[in-house]
Amino acid sequence: MNRSLRRLYLALASGFGAVVLMLGYWQIVAADRLSARTDNPRVAERELLIDRGNITTADGVVVARSRAVRRRDRQIFQRVYPRPTLASNAIGYSSPNQGTTGLESSWNRYLGGSFSAESLFDQFRSSTKRGASVRLTIDSRIQQAAITAMAGQEGAVVAIEPATGNVLALLSTPSFDLSKVAGDFGAILKDPNKPLYSRATQSRYPPGSTFKVLTTIAALDSGTFSPTSPFVDRGRYEKNGRAITNFGGHVYGAHDLQTALVKSINTTFAAIGAQLGPEKLGKTMTAFGFGTRPGIDLRPEEVFSSGRFREGKLLANEDPTGDSARLAIGQEQLDVTPLQMAIVAAAIANGGLRMTPHLVSQVKDRGGDIVKEVRPEEAGRATSPETAAAVAAMMRRVVEEGTGQAADVAGLSVAGKTGTAETGRPGQNDAWFIGFAPQTNAKVAVAVVIANTPATGGGVAAPVASAVMRAALAATGRTP
Amino acid sequence: MSPLRVRELLLLVLAGLIGAVGAVTVASARLGRTSLAPLIGVGVLFAIFLAMHVLVRWRIKHADPLLLPLVGVLTAIGLVSLYRLSPAVAEVQARWVAIGAAVFAAVVFFLPDHRILERYRYIIGLVGLLLLVATMIFGQNLSQSGAGARLWIPIGGGQTVQLGEVSKILVVIFLAGYLRDHREVLAIPTQRHLGVQLPAGRHLAPMLAFCLIALALAGVLNDFGTALLFFGIFLAMLYLASGRIAYVAAGTGAFLVGCVGVWLTVPKIRVRVDTWLHPFNDPLGTGYQMVQSLYALGEGGLFGPGLGKGLLISESGATKIPAQKTDFIFSAPADELGFVGGVAIILIVLLLVGRGLAIASRANDGFSKLLAAGLTTAIGLQTLVILGGIVRLFPLTGVTFPFMSYGGSSVVTNFLLVALLLIISHRSAAPQRLRGSSDEGLVA
Repeated sequence: MNRSLRRLYLALASGFGAVVLMLGYWQIVAADRLSARTDNPRVAERELLIDRGNITTADGVVVARSRAVRRRDRQIFQRVYPRPTLASNAIGYSSPNQGTTGLESSWNRYLGGSFSAESLFDQFRSSTKRGASVRLTIDSRIQQAAITAMAGQEGAVVAIEPATGNVLALLSTPSFDLSKVAGDFGAILKDPNKPLYSRATQSRYPPGSTFKVLTTIAALDSGTFSPTSPFVDRGRYEKNGRAITNFGGHVYGAHDLQTALVKSINTTFAAIGAQLGPEKLGKTMTAFGFGTRPGIDLRPEEVFSSGRFREGKLLANEDPTGDSARLAIGQEQLDVTPLQMAIVAAAIANGGLRMTPHLVSQVKDRGGDIVKEVRPEEAGRATSPETAAAVAAMMRRVVEEGTGQAADVAGLSVAGKTGTAETGRPGQNDAWFIGFAPQTNAKVAVAVVIANTPATGGGVAAPVASAVMRAALAATGRTP
Repeated sequence: MSPLRVRELLLLVLAGLIGAVGAVTVASARLGRTSLAPLIGVGVLFAIFLAMHVLVRWRIKHADPLLLPLVGVLTAIGLVSLYRLSPAVAEVQARWVAIGAAVFAAVVFFLPDHRILERYRYIIGLVGLLLLVATMIFGQNLSQSGAGARLWIPIGGGQTVQLGEVSKILVVIFLAGYLRDHREVLAIPTQRHLGVQLPAGRHLAPMLAFCLIALALAGVLNDFGTALLFFGIFLAMLYLASGRIAYVAAGTGAFLVGCVGVWLTVPKIRVRVDTWLHPFNDPLGTGYQMVQSLYALGEGGLFGPGLGKGLLISESGATKIPAQKTDFIFSAPADELGFVGGVAIILIVLLLVGRGLAIASRANDGFSKLLAAGLTTAIGLQTLVILGGIVRLFPLTGVTFPFMSYGGSSVVTNFLLVALLLIISHRSAAPQRLRGSSDEGLVA
């Protein structure tokens, strides 16, 4: 009988072996798949147990922190947003019910303490998982200046330090209150203004005349044109049947390229665009990052790419279809995010070198040790230093004597370009200003868009940009 | 002092330490600071096991030294798991452990020789059946979902018993006695049906009839876990007695046919099978328990978050898995201690099974061998049935996890079972003069 007993033991043991294999499958192989399921209540609950790190602005204002509370024999952490309307779209939220967005999501590995800088021993010893603190490049004073200047208007403001790609302000209005996410998310969702949508990175607007900056760069880089290339305007440019006229029906007569930019003469840029063709325009667009998602440190789904679109689909920048004349004045197929236009302004301000924008400068663990330092990263050369300097000088004159005078800051040489893009709805424009200050060695580059306004870029967007640049230069110690 | 018993004592101390560390960890995690309060309870339980050890030392000193410590470890893990889920429930369970220990003591004290049982095999078998009949008549379904089996018999004072658990042991005793009587004839096939060689009908019929009645009763009771268990035990013991794998094959074939039949006719079983194959089709309905258990396993990962740090309790204060304290008790340590903890528990059960079968192989007579093997199979198979259900190896059928699941009848029965195994091991290891009339034993 003993042989039978051994067999019985083997049979039972192999049964247990099969159980162990299956247990290992569920606990190790399938664990990630199980925890990714949306109906798994443990995922959100697990988040509550983490003492998430602080989010602090560049000037030391805590905008997100965690507070310990006891619930059901257990210590959990609630997320607190001391400045709940300062930069809601950029900071985002971390909520057990609504998920995680913005920087709370894109830097979650650090904020949530999963970067494993703590030794295994420390992790075992410490009863709670503790996240690292994240320091933003956003300066609360610059951001606040943008909020004040935008008051009541729908749109976005993006301010970037050209040399580093540090994002100094990232604002989308109307905004929402981060402190209401936990309690009254329904009201935020139902808000007809759609405040959860970041107009700075997720909304695309026709760039209008701000795109002429790119046309100018393409023209100069082609070698065919210089700032003094002569043009004659008769008030009308006609090709392919669709006439292009100047804003307000102006007729400018004889002028040069520089003046064309200062006065934003549509007919001249249309002619240049037609002469350059889609290939050369497209090459410049590619160099400035159009057609690809900006590499900013937000979740990919929160950052849209800019470029040429047909029926909602992104075209190649060099796509030969479409009217290059209309493209050159920013009214054909083009849809761009404010972030992308800020990148354009910053690249010109930085001598043609495009930097990758980023929102976080530093991550520190609870012991105060720096876990990660974000260094300036070159995204690529957008144009030559010579072209950049020439365009910067032209943009300076736009602010000095052209459409962008409202952007000027006394004592500072602000350079820029306005834009007033037709939306197709009568009396409703998207008003733009892109620019930087000072003209040389710029400390700040901005893009401002005000959506659905009867006013022009020079009228409403330029003053906002002015206020933001003033705040930025004050914050960086270059008070005019 | 016998070295066997010294080993037993040392291992019991180890089991006690496991319980102490576990309970203190759970209490400390609950309060957020180190708490030694549960050590009193651990101490009382350790004293109970110590008393069992002393009794073993006095009455059956040649008994296997590993069995009691292994039971101690499983009991400790079970109580710590229950304490984690609800201190009140753990307290009730601890009382049942004390009652189980008393039953253990009574058996060890009053049953000097288990072979007496062989004499009463038919009466015992009849009582086993009667217990099932009683459950059929008086049984109530107390499961939260209402879909469970009618296993609980009220005995007044709000207390209930599950007689099915006890009848399991009685049936094993009957089978051991019956098979010991008939093993020679069962080993010699005299006829052939469907390619299977079978012994004479008159030897096979009573046993088959008995098993069919047991199975039918379990079926009527809506208790397919127990039915499966009875059938498995029967097949294993038949194989051991006859040494013929063909019987097992025939039995398994019949079982599979029966499964299909049941699947076709019993809606509850069809739901069970669907839940087994596609638990995520209805994660909030029929699949809820399974899905929550899988989430618990998944959360555990390799090492688990640590005792008391899992997310077993929902916002309402109830366990996330409705039957966490009973059928799904294993998911609790497998969550908080991870795969490593789960495998450790499985290995302890496997060690227990190994010891039980070793006792069987060392026993001097056929009845003792069959009895020890049958009892061990009952524990091993029962663990396998519930674990296989939890890890989705096969459809879930609700049976308790021996020594760990919450439930008095289960605890008491399993302590009784261990007492029998220890007595058998003592008898077979005892010096010749103690064996008595062992000449009737068959040397296998």
